[in-house]
Amino acid sequence: MTTTNTVATKEGFAEIKTAKLSTLGFFMALPPVLVIIVFVGLPIFVAFIFSIGYTGGPNRVISIIGQDIFQKNKWWGTPDAYLTVFRDARFLPDLALTLVVTFLSTFVVLVMSLGMALYQRIKGGKIASILSMLSLVPLFVPVVIAAYAIAQFYNGVGFMRTFMAQFGIEFPIITATRNAIVIGTIWTSLPFAILMITSGLQSVPNALIETAQDAGASFMRIVRTILIPLAFVPIVIAGTFTAIGIMGSFTVPLFLGPNQPTMLGVEISNFFTAYNRPQQSIVMAFIIFAAASGIAVLYIWANIRSAKQSGRI
Amino acid sequence: MSNATLGLELVGLTKVLGGRVIIDNLNLTVEKGEMVSLLGPSGCGKTTTLRMIAGFLIPEKGTVNVAGKDVTNLGPEKRPSAMVFQNYALWPHMTVFKNVAYPLKIRKMSKSEIEKRVHEVLTVVNLMHHKDSRPGQISGGEQQRVALARALVQEPDILLLDEPLSNLDAKLRVKVREDIRDLQRRLGITTVIVTHDQDEALSISDRIAVMNEGRIEQFSTPQELYDRPATEYVANFIGSLNRLEGGYSDGQVTSGNEVVGIRPEDVTFSKTQVPGSHAATVELVVPRGHFYEVYLKRADASLRAFISIDVPKVGDTGFAKVNKALVYKDGKLVRTA
Repeated sequence: MTTTNTVATKEGFAEIKTAKLSTLGFFMALPPVLVIIVFVGLPIFVAFIFSIGYTGGPNRVISIIGQDIFQKNKWWGTPDAYLTVFRDARFLPDLALTLVVTFLSTFVVLVMSLGMALYQRIKGGKIASILSMLSLVPLFVPVVIAAYAIAQFYNGVGFMRTFMAQFGIEFPIITATRNAIVIGTIWTSLPFAILMITSGLQSVPNALIETAQDAGASFMRIVRTILIPLAFVPIVIAGTFTAIGIMGSFTVPLFLGPNQPTMLGVEISNFFTAYNRPQQSIVMAFIIFAAASGIAVLYIWANIRSAKQSGRI
Repeated sequence: MSNATLGLELVGLTKVLGGRVIIDNLNLTVEKGEMVSLLGPSGCGKTTTLRMIAGFLIPEKGTVNVAGKDVTNLGPEKRPSAMVFQNYALWPHMTVFKNVAYPLKIRKMSKSEIEKRVHEVLTVVNLMHHKDSRPGQISGGEQQRVALARALVQEPDILLLDEPLSNLDAKLRVKVREDIRDLQRRLGITTVIVTHDQDEALSISDRIAVMNEGRIEQFSTPQELYDRPATEYVANFIGSLNRLEGGYSDGQVTSGNEVVGIRPEDVTFSKTQVPGSHAATVELVVPRGHFYEVYLKRADASLRAFISIDVPKVGDTGFAKVNKALVYKDGKLVRTA
């Protein structure tokens, strides 16, 4: 009897200990969850209901101050703010520019990062290390300074035009064009993508590459059939994070982009502050959010695919 | 020996890595269809030698000839060899079938031919039922067989195995090494296997090259290596040895400047005296599974003996006899007694 009681008591203590630990774990995880709910989730919810015409409650003050505010006329709200945005002559060109810049910049960033990472992975050595360190410099230069420097470099009286003029060549003015935004976003996005993809390729064991070599594969075949598939998840992460970052970028398009069309990050700011049309600016934000969610799906798909391949699910 | 019977020939191979000579003027000749082990401790240069045969390293000096052709300056993708890596190196994003088919796709074979050959080789390694599995879904032993299948499907002139069994547990290791030996014999493929496990080398090799500091100490059959190790290093590395400094005469260790090596299984213990035996006391008895390791104290030396029947107890007295001794001078075998 005594032994049984002792065992039961021990089990009881163990249960209490486990319960205490799980409660402690829950409270440790709670602060970030609460921060996300209160400071991110709730504002998103309030903004969304504002965009479909819920102008009372927390949206009351902004509804009084803002112009062109649409109030809900059905139980679920109203699509009028969305319709107004889509009918606005500025919006679709802005959206097109945003998507084109996002696609172009992401593509160039991925190609450049992959080239750099492959060079480091396959060749290695001092030159690769120096290039890799140089590629990280943009991380330490504030975006606003970089954007200003790029603007100065490519503008009408900038270095490129002045330099090329010495040889009788009229270099085009790139500042205030789509290409200037692409150059700026590549500058800002490249270091992170290089870091991600380099670490992805470095994690591919040498033996997997050597086995392919031994089987007779050429360099390009090894890249295509072994390295890229095995570093697929980091590449997708780099691509999705780059694309989402560029889609919502503000400083680079503000400094380097044209006035019209402009990228949605800038236009949202214009609508909110300059035009005093907060409801429309929020609608635009939700449209960008929807596009970014599409990219996030790609990220989730890549993770699931990787987990399936490695037999984790 | 004519070129037609040569599977592999290494002539004067030298490799320097990080300013250090890793392989020093190494010569080795392997006959066609022969299975040879490169055996030695970590850092002796066996894997470096294998990687030079495979083409992953280019020697500073010397030549590598495979099946009579000089391949020294060819990259691994152009060599008629196939290598099985220590950790199998299966591509985790491909199924077993695709892993094995990969070398054939590179050779631009037709789909039907690829399918036929992959099925054949998967049948040989008994893995047809796993052809659609991914490497992460099969066991270590099965992964090893996939790696072997991927190498065999290339029908190489020479098969290179880099410690292929070191990641397997003891029982599986025995099973897979028997499978490898069986396959190698059936296919008659010239094979070089790198191992630091003497049991493995002794049990599957036609000949063994024992390596030490980038050189081959002895290249012989397993029996010859065990019975007549040419150097003290080989005698110590292969099997177990009583190493005694002095001379040897009339079954006894005497004073001298030689080294006497006595295999524990060449020491017998009995209660009654027989010619050549000397009085001994049992100091320790250690069970080793199917035999006992018995520590004996004699007037001339302390000896270990492997005994499986009539095992004495600690404190027993009797007579120990040395049936065979290897005598070395300056590290070289001078006589057996």
